[in-house]
Amino acid sequence: MHEQDYAKETLAYIRQTMESASTFTAVSGWGLMAVGAIGLVAAGLVWRTGTPTDLNVWLSAAVLSIITAGVSTTAKARILEAPLWSGVLRKIVWVMAPALTAGAVLTYALAMEGDRHLLPGTWLALYGAGVTAGGVFSVRVLRGMGALFLVLGVIALLAPSVGLPLLAIGFGGLHLGFGAYIVKRHGG
Amino acid sequence: MVSVRTSSSGTVANPAADELDRLIHERIRLGIVAALAANDALTFAELRDVLKTTDGNLSVHARKLEEAGYIRVTKGFEDRKPRTEYRLTPKGRRALEQYLQQMEGILSAARDALERA
Repeated sequence: MHEQDYAKETLAYIRQTMESASTFTAVSGWGLMAVGAIGLVAAGLVWRTGTPTDLNVWLSAAVLSIITAGVSTTAKARILEAPLWSGVLRKIVWVMAPALTAGAVLTYALAMEGDRHLLPGTWLALYGAGVTAGGVFSVRVLRGMGALFLVLGVIALLAPSVGLPLLAIGFGGLHLGFGAYIVKRHGG
Repeated sequence: MVSVRTSSSGTVANPAADELDRLIHERIRLGIVAALAANDALTFAELRDVLKTTDGNLSVHARKLEEAGYIRVTKGFEDRKPRTEYRLTPKGRRALEQYLQQMEGILSAARDALERA
């Protein structure tokens, strides 16, 4: 191999390794905790109104959570001077997208068919599937969080009557817990 | 900056072997140093996952870097489980920067050779 090819390959390897490693810090723990707080507020709101699958509340919470996650990830990447749209982050987004798209389509279909009691389990299971798959490119703890969402989703599908508490535990509690872990372990 | 020799065919020769830091010239050790340069600290498991290597391989190479003073190892417990954490030392960071300069020097010399050709 020509020396310049070797140098190019080595520099690419260094860049790729640093990008892979920076995903540990690019995920904002504070952002994840904020998403957890949004999840708890949404669960509290629908509990008060007595409509656990009120789409106005949950869809608003989902949009707010996506914006919060995007802003916090961007802010952390800037602070750390890390590449925001790295190859790894791109892979994670692509891998998560099918499960989240399926979740959106199923939400529409189940709501149209009047099967709203299945929505909590569907959301939890598909979000868990997406995070577990995306976690393949990141730290093991992310896969753990995805797996816990999957378990909650299965329980919610088998016992729809406890869907709301499970939504609060998942989108509220798990995000808060894992967010706090990232804050503690990966600098914010 | 490393000196680079150019042959008549335009092929750029390697920097003299003794100019390259042999310690981080090895791929896994270079990966360890690069990964730690992007983070304050990484655990053993995180490093292993990033580098997609085995426990044994990572242990051997990390020990060599630790002995050279390129990385600092902290051993402790978290939730009663053993936890090994690695950090890059200033010496290790300087070594990576110098190695990067050497690689960039090779590419720069190759570009110059192409322009002259």
